[in-house]
Amino acid sequence: MLFVIDHHSGVPSYRQIMDQIKFQIASGALAANAELPSTRALSAKLSLNQMTISKAYSLLERDGVLERRRGQTLVVRALAEGALTITKIDQLRQSLVAGASAARQLGIPPGEALRVFRDMLNEPKDTRIHELPHRHQAAH
Amino acid sequence: MNSPIATKRLTKTYGPHTALRSIDLDIPTGRVVGLLGRNGAGKTTLLNIACGLVLPTEGSCETLGMPVKDLDSAELKQLGMVPQESRLIEWMKVQQHLAFNAAFYPRWDAVRELHLLKELELPHDRKIGQLSTGDRQKLSIILSVCHHPSLLLLDEPASALDPIVRGRMLDFLLSVVREDNCTVVISSHILTDLEKIIDWVVCLDRGEVVMSAALDVIQESYAEWIVTSPKGSLPGQFSEAFVLTHEGDAHQARLQVRPGQGIEQPFSARYCAEVVSRPLTLEQLFPLLINQRRNQR
Repeated sequence: MLFVIDHHSGVPSYRQIMDQIKFQIASGALAANAELPSTRALSAKLSLNQMTISKAYSLLERDGVLERRRGQTLVVRALAEGALTITKIDQLRQSLVAGASAARQLGIPPGEALRVFRDMLNEPKDTRIHELPHRHQAAH
Repeated sequence: MNSPIATKRLTKTYGPHTALRSIDLDIPTGRVVGLLGRNGAGKTTLLNIACGLVLPTEGSCETLGMPVKDLDSAELKQLGMVPQESRLIEWMKVQQHLAFNAAFYPRWDAVRELHLLKELELPHDRKIGQLSTGDRQKLSIILSVCHHPSLLLLDEPASALDPIVRGRMLDFLLSVVREDNCTVVISSHILTDLEKIIDWVVCLDRGEVVMSAALDVIQESYAEWIVTSPKGSLPGQFSEAFVLTHEGDAHQARLQVRPGQGIEQPFSARYCAEVVSRPLTLEQLFPLLINQRRNQR
């Protein structure tokens, strides 16, 4: 399991972890009953305070995404098929907020915007993005 | 135990100058606390009082449950401090200084000492008088953590370190917190560094506490809105109470706001504008917190 934490985004780290776990569950990368790393192990790996990790875990537990098993292991809770679809659509909706906002600001009518989105879904990904110098890679 | 540092109406004056003005503060246990403030805000004075180097003029400060004027070896051996200007014995070699300090602490951890010398790339056979500023800072840090303190006070510890060593140092501090359940108070003006490791913010301004709260709570209490109106219908001033700052023109404005449930929709409708909400970074939050307090006065 890979987490990418952006410390300068202003988004609290616990929230970034929560979002990424939810995304991985929705995409199937984290299956039901899969075990999560311990707060200690994850905090060492991500260089974050243990409290940050346990806050993310306990909020996910409260939301019914994770559940604690006998002992201390934390696992992904099995969701009904319908519930999972809702999660997927939620995830997609979140990532489209910025696009929808840009379309309105640019005055692109909904029909036109939908066409762009449909084309993007059908076409292979525009690879030009990868030719740009990548700031994070350069830093390593 | 209660909070490792607790102050009540703590005041410190230097002649006519008031460095700390009646401060009530409780530092929470097991946190990495970022002590933020502009030059002269009182950060160093607070840290010096907390470790007993300076005594309060009025009010009280308790460190590890003991009034600072009565701090004794029982408390001091649980305390680690890196002062802003390192007080090192110039004629000793690095190795000698480490052995000298180790002699005072029964719990001195030689394994941690070796690990840190290697990790921070500090030559152990160099004379301290000949060390660079950065290497002196590294040594101060090593000296402050090898006895497994339960409270670690760091006054601008990373200011002279290069980015690579700074990153390693901060990672190491986190591992100390993990292993020893240590509380760390770290003052710094390199905010981008701090953002990575701190989870509690104490913000001082002109000797007063502007804010003491969990970082994630602060991050979620403020946001930046980019407001765009294609028709150019934005006003010169926004009357909404949740708008803290504002710059821009009739077409586009950048607001700093206190976000809340259900405020975006009516705002957007009122000004026929598109609102894009973004979180604020610590660097953006810091002036906001200070100015907000100054405006209240």
